[in-house]
Amino acid sequence: MIKKVLIANRGEIAVRIIRACREMGIETVAVYSEADREALHTQLADESICIGPAPSSHSYLSMENIISATIVSGADAIHPGFGFLSENSRFAELCEQCNITFIGPPSQVIASLGNKQAAKNTMAAAGVPVIPGSKKAVYSVEEGMAEADEIGYPVIIKAALGGGGKGMRTADCAAEFAESFRTAQKEAQMAFGDNTMYIEHFVRNPRHIEFQILADKKGNVIHLGERDCSVQRNHQKMIEESPCEVISDRLRKKMGEAAVKAAKACGYVNAGTIEFLLDRDGSFYFMEMNTRIQVEHPVTEWVTGVDLVKEQIRIASGMPLSFKQKDIHITGHAIECRINAENPSKGFRPSPGTITDMYFPGGKGIRIDSAVYSGYTVQPYYDSMIAKLIVWAKNREEAIRKMQSALGEIIIEGIDTNVDYQYEILNNPDFLEGNTDVGFIERMEGRGKEA
Amino acid sequence: MKLENMFKKTRISNGESGGRRGRTAKPEVPQGLLRKCNKCGAAIIAEDVKNGYYICPKCGGYFRVHAYRRIQMVADEGSFEEWDGSLMGENPMDYRGYPEKLSAVQGKTGLREAVVTGKCRINGYEAVIGVCDGRFLMASMGWAVGEKITRAVERATEEKLPVILFACSGGARMQEGITSLMQMAKTSAALKRHSDAGLLYISVLTEPTTGGVTASFAMLGDVILAEPGALIGFAGPRVIEQTIRQKLPKGFQRAEFLLEHGFVDAIVERENLKRTLTKILKLHEKKERFSIETAKINGSEEIKEQNRPELTSLTGQGSEPTLSLAPWERVQASRKADRPSGSTYIRGLFTDFIEFHGDRKYGDDPAVIGGVAAFHGIPVTVIAQEKGSGTKENIYRNFGMPMPEGYRKALRLMKQAEKFRRPVICFVDTPGAFCGIEAEERGQGAAIAENLMEMAGLTVPVLTVVTGEGGSGGALALAAGDQVWMLENAVYSILSPEGFSSILWKDSSKAKEAAEVMKLTAADLYRQKIIEKIIPEPKALKEETLSYVTDILDEEITDFLKQYEKMPEEELLKRRYERFRKF
Repeated sequence: MIKKVLIANRGEIAVRIIRACREMGIETVAVYSEADREALHTQLADESICIGPAPSSHSYLSMENIISATIVSGADAIHPGFGFLSENSRFAELCEQCNITFIGPPSQVIASLGNKQAAKNTMAAAGVPVIPGSKKAVYSVEEGMAEADEIGYPVIIKAALGGGGKGMRTADCAAEFAESFRTAQKEAQMAFGDNTMYIEHFVRNPRHIEFQILADKKGNVIHLGERDCSVQRNHQKMIEESPCEVISDRLRKKMGEAAVKAAKACGYVNAGTIEFLLDRDGSFYFMEMNTRIQVEHPVTEWVTGVDLVKEQIRIASGMPLSFKQKDIHITGHAIECRINAENPSKGFRPSPGTITDMYFPGGKGIRIDSAVYSGYTVQPYYDSMIAKLIVWAKNREEAIRKMQSALGEIIIEGIDTNVDYQYEILNNPDFLEGNTDVGFIERMEGRGKEA
Repeated sequence: MKLENMFKKTRISNGESGGRRGRTAKPEVPQGLLRKCNKCGAAIIAEDVKNGYYICPKCGGYFRVHAYRRIQMVADEGSFEEWDGSLMGENPMDYRGYPEKLSAVQGKTGLREAVVTGKCRINGYEAVIGVCDGRFLMASMGWAVGEKITRAVERATEEKLPVILFACSGGARMQEGITSLMQMAKTSAALKRHSDAGLLYISVLTEPTTGGVTASFAMLGDVILAEPGALIGFAGPRVIEQTIRQKLPKGFQRAEFLLEHGFVDAIVERENLKRTLTKILKLHEKKERFSIETAKINGSEEIKEQNRPELTSLTGQGSEPTLSLAPWERVQASRKADRPSGSTYIRGLFTDFIEFHGDRKYGDDPAVIGGVAAFHGIPVTVIAQEKGSGTKENIYRNFGMPMPEGYRKALRLMKQAEKFRRPVICFVDTPGAFCGIEAEERGQGAAIAENLMEMAGLTVPVLTVVTGEGGSGGALALAAGDQVWMLENAVYSILSPEGFSSILWKDSSKAKEAAEVMKLTAADLYRQKIIEKIIPEPKALKEETLSYVTDILDEEITDFLKQYEKMPEEELLKRRYERFRKF
């Protein structure tokens, strides 16, 4: 069993991991940058080691410094949290070379899933549904039409060297195809000097659904249901919930089985997440696999009763999963709101600074994962998320009310936060009805502007 | 709220602390996985350094590279063929302990001597290569090093191949005494023969290049490249400090210092070195003579035709320019801040431009940009006066007013063009040669004069385009060639209108009137046969509309090169002589 863990992260996730370790009787080592001397994780851990100056490239991303800190402190394992080095296969490999237990999947699994196209191919080969698309490059309208017919409309036409929306067009039907293809190809030629195109099935405003899985070293893989993370702003998740309002038990079983298949296909070990796009008609497609604990893991913990961080440590220690798929039941409804130090009225500009006063709500069914306290200074160098507010109730309606109530109690003085913005979402009629997809925020903000 | 020592720590239930007991393999860093950077002291992953050109990922500092690894970095895989691999020196002074020392170093490094020479291909281009290895007695040059380099250069001369030498040396090898000193003369003499054969020598200076190596082959390259931060000098910094009893300034004798002082053509990052060498080799491929006929002219001809105004009525036949502007308005147009500067023309007309810095005497003048580039695939030497854009760059480039070292750099590059038989194309845009104390101290007049005299004898075609201001001798020093063309609103004169009115009328405010009488517009000068062509301009010439002008220039330059490529040298020089003789 692991006896001493070094947490290669900061903020609330570092605190979350320290707490799990403490409950398991495992010693903890925090690492911190010069800007994080006063940070909660630095103070809370049994030992703390400074690993460099404030910019993360010189501290939280410095593999050499973190490995050295591990050796010096006598820790036998590293928990990478999320972000920073958590999905860096080179770092996982270094840990392996130094006999340090990396709490996560083996380095070659991270590497193979890091290559998005290769990962999709692996999944497709294993029978996990992926978005249908052209197998080879397309250069002419005629070739493209034939491909599009086979793939099924609507389709999206993408430049092979594309990026930033350039050289990208959709076509809803065959009549629109030629025009869209020519425009996209022309744009691609102008922007990238290359007219190689690809065609994919287009899912308009899908839901972002992800399945949490756990896999031990013995080859047992189970899933813990889904999280609906459709409420996103510029690809940044804002609110996550479990279960998803529109997923039936039957669909959950089908998607869960696909998730387990996906994890098995790549030889996955430890906690991981399979991202799917869910279309309105119930078809779903594998997007990518995240090889780390996720920000939104608490909602899954609350509806399943499983402590995911503790399971990660047990799995890394070589222990088998202590439950089977049939032991996992989804109970009630959990919602998480991310609380960020940012100003929504100024384009969500980060708002670092000192928190002069604060009050967090409590009571039944309310969980706060945070690393801030009164007098703490939010640093400009790192992610602006300062807290996660998670609620649980027996159904979605009650959970929403609880979240509204809890958001209404939060007081954070001295910096700007998105609490009021989140409160708005929690009162939005579409959200209340569960009518959300990845276009939800855009529509909500658009309506706000028109009004 | 202060949190220090407020929280309770984990209590270990079984009483033992630390995770290492009971485990078979305890966490440790395997031998060689991490290294310490000898520059910044940071721990670095050894493999990352090896995969990253031996550059510290933390501080960006350069580590020294062993000779064979260096060859691996620049040569095509498997293309290196070593020459004189077993050549070794003797002990000319019977210096005690020298043979023992040599064999010890040989044992330690696996090298026979401090330089590795041979032939290789660099992206397909054949070259003779020599690389010093600092592990071997600081790559000091004794008989064997000098001999290997000399033999390599001699063989390159025989096989008509370019030479690339990587210097990394402390200087002469003391243990071999005066024999070592002779290597300096020997290697230099071999390079002279190589150079006289019209062949290219690229010297790459790496940390450290000092002493007798600096004072011989290292500084003799047609092109001298240096690695960032490399120490390059004759006397070592410690010796200088002890002699003059002064602390040396930061950056003294570093590659950047040499660049500023005109002794290095360019500083090239290690990861770009192979690409840069390839580019230079490509532009120096050995051909008998340049030929625009055989060069591939790409680009769509129809598009160019569409954009092309009725040039024939203008150029060659001397009708009035398209825009009717008063002379003073043209003076103002020629000085406009958003008028494209010299480097813009280089970008617009040529490909593969490599800037070569420095006059190899005193400094590098930012008011003059020069180097080699390709025009439809054929190599040309390009020289441009550069005013810069924006106040900050204007100041850095001294508003396009060259120093003597600017003219000397231009002359150096023209001589280089002559050696490699490529045409010279100059772009003139200057208020005039800089007048100031430093310029006089370093011989502004002498520098311009030397250009005029030497340009009269250059055996390759020289074309000059006045794109903006053609300020007096400062312009002429780049315009004493075979043809001079002017953009429609460019001006070219003995003096600025302000200066003219102040000298002749004792009133500098009458510049406008002066402009009227000075006959400084393109049309005036065309009539006087001072220039050969007028290049029409769009209404507002700026960077966005530059293609209007460069499309025309592109065709005109093509025609110019076609006309001159076949001209025998005597004919070329005779015409050039007469071009000025007639005035």
